[in-house]
Amino acid sequence: MKEFSTVNDILDFAISNEQGAVDFYTQLAAKVSNDAMKNIFIQFSQEEMKHKAKLLEIKEKGIYSISSVQITDLKISDYIVKVETSPQMTYQEALVLAMNREKSAFKLYLNLSQKAPNDELKNLFLMMAQEESKHKLRFEIEYDEYVLTEN
Amino acid sequence: MFDQDVKYLKFKTYLNTYCPYCHQSFNVEKKDVKQLVFKAIFKGQEIDLVLSPYLDVFEIETSVPIGEGEVLDDLMCPACQKSLVSQDTKCGECGSPVAHVIISALSRLIPFFICLKRGCEWHGLTKADERRIKLKIPRQEMPEQDQTLRIHNHQEVPYGFTTELASLEAGRCLQCKNPKCVEGCPVNVDIPEFIKLMREDDFDGAAKKIKERNVLPAICGRVCPQEDQCEGKCILGHKDSPVAIGRLERFVADFERKMDLVKIPVIKNKSSKRIAVVGSGPGGLTVAADMALLGYSVTVFEALHELGGVLTYGIPEFRLPKSIVQFEINYLKEIGVRFELNHIIGTLITIEELLDHFDSVYIGVGAGLPVFMGIPGESLGYVFSANEYLTRMNLMKAYKFPEYDTPMPRGNKVVVIGGGNVAMDCARTAIRTGSTEVTIVYRRSRQELPARKEEVHHAEQEGIKFKLLASPVKYIGTDSNIVKAVECIKMELGESDESGRRRPVPINDSDFTIECDIAIVAIGTGPNPIIFNTTPDLKRNKWGYIEVNEETMETSIPNVYAGGDIVTGSATVIQAMGAGRAAANAIHKKLSLK
Repeated sequence: MKEFSTVNDILDFAISNEQGAVDFYTQLAAKVSNDAMKNIFIQFSQEEMKHKAKLLEIKEKGIYSISSVQITDLKISDYIVKVETSPQMTYQEALVLAMNREKSAFKLYLNLSQKAPNDELKNLFLMMAQEESKHKLRFEIEYDEYVLTEN
Repeated sequence: MFDQDVKYLKFKTYLNTYCPYCHQSFNVEKKDVKQLVFKAIFKGQEIDLVLSPYLDVFEIETSVPIGEGEVLDDLMCPACQKSLVSQDTKCGECGSPVAHVIISALSRLIPFFICLKRGCEWHGLTKADERRIKLKIPRQEMPEQDQTLRIHNHQEVPYGFTTELASLEAGRCLQCKNPKCVEGCPVNVDIPEFIKLMREDDFDGAAKKIKERNVLPAICGRVCPQEDQCEGKCILGHKDSPVAIGRLERFVADFERKMDLVKIPVIKNKSSKRIAVVGSGPGGLTVAADMALLGYSVTVFEALHELGGVLTYGIPEFRLPKSIVQFEINYLKEIGVRFELNHIIGTLITIEELLDHFDSVYIGVGAGLPVFMGIPGESLGYVFSANEYLTRMNLMKAYKFPEYDTPMPRGNKVVVIGGGNVAMDCARTAIRTGSTEVTIVYRRSRQELPARKEEVHHAEQEGIKFKLLASPVKYIGTDSNIVKAVECIKMELGESDESGRRRPVPINDSDFTIECDIAIVAIGTGPNPIIFNTTPDLKRNKWGYIEVNEETMETSIPNVYAGGDIVTGSATVIQAMGAGRAAANAIHKKLSLK
């Protein structure tokens, strides 16, 4: 497992993760056949780009904080069956995919925070986990609003 | 001046009217004719004046003709000869002098005024008092089939208003000068005008008035969510229950049909232009009717073997009898609309091919693709989508098996997922086909149930259980992969988010199971992709619904229009009709310029 000894190590790791997500969605946008879905994945990749920009700013200025606000967990992604990527993906499947990716990232940072050697690194991991949980909530709300319409 | 005894004073009620001085009655009955008889002075001459003794009927006879707008000099009691002209009160409508009499309502005597100006309301109350009386007449309920009987049949639940109930309810309308109800109707039916005609007992005229804007009134009167539309805007509703506009609409449409008063219009200006309509649901039927009445040659293509779209395959018989849908469609056939059954546009014929033969194409195929939650076990046997379940039951008449050859999905214990009208329809169909325990599972609380209150009320009456604030997390199957239970988790509503909506959040370790033989998923629907497979240029939004110009309903392909659920996602019958009307106007405008 990768060792993290400084704040910059963590930020570099997170930035490369976000870049990975940008690449993932960009490739998916090229793969899907429907124009509307193409735009969706481009939009997702742009959102990941914003997350990356936020991390770069933290790295540059060295300022970050953990909000005391509890991020709601609708747990929709806990119960939904995982989906595979395909050129015929629907928006519902795209949301499931995105929710699960954000959930994995959240879990990763939460695990890392528990293993962090000092409080400074721990707090940074927690902040990252909180960010990912916000991103997951954004997709879960969309799923709640538009897929589970009469439920 | 009035107290609450006035609530017993109903419109069309026979008035017992007395002189305030000698207390002699003005009421005279000769054979079957009931009248109020007075002495009056007009231009210095004594004349006889006779009024109708009903509150809502303004008929007058005088021994000398009196012109519109002319004012009587005096009105007198025929017994004591005293002048009845009030010194304190003037007509609330026109400011002319009024005569003062008293009427008895139960044990109370109530002051009552008669305007002396011809053309004004000759007898009646001031507008303000009339309004106060109307506030006291309760909203009328429709008689309906008893719940213990109706769960054993598929006949319609409400019987509809009787003539008396309809007249009483129509009497509650305030006839507002600036009515809001019309704005609430997606096709802008002239509601105050049709109710006014009802009050004049012209039910046929009222039906014709509605049909000027709405070609399917008997259907809309039954299935429209009026509480969110016209009735939601009714001004009487600010202080009291709104006028039951939907029930009145249903009454006049049924009256017209039962009395065989439907007239087929003669279409004078025939056009050589041809219109194709894809889908025979409410939106498609509206476009077809509007265009046919304008003289165009219209052909409707329907994928199924019966017409009506969701009205036929989706809404059950006990909520919307199919004979009514059939009757409305027959009207369209009479005005010259052609119908082609079993034509799946997108496979049999493409949109492009339609454009080779028609000047314009309207796509109104609805949102018929079932949506599932995406939880484990959805592919187990006897987990149905609401679409499949209702199509089997309504369109394929599975409940009449073996008379019809579609086997009926029947189970003793049925779980329905979802809280909309479709979920209520599934649950109520299940109870009518012999299921002993039907449970609706819904993630939010009662307040958020998207179904109409009336449907929820009927479902509860019929013994359907509601498991609120609960969500399925997986379906559990038998060894032979047939569903045997639904595992659920309890939910609580979280804090309001930015949109103001409280999202349901699962409660940890609150899992429980509900045994079932059938599970029906009724959480919503999506767009069917068949048309798009052969028409990739048709621009769609991220949800797969067609993008249109909101004014003209024209799509990204010129001369191809779309409306209803395939544009907006699941909505109401009348909204689909509103979209159809907008498209028909735009198509006519464009084709008229060519």
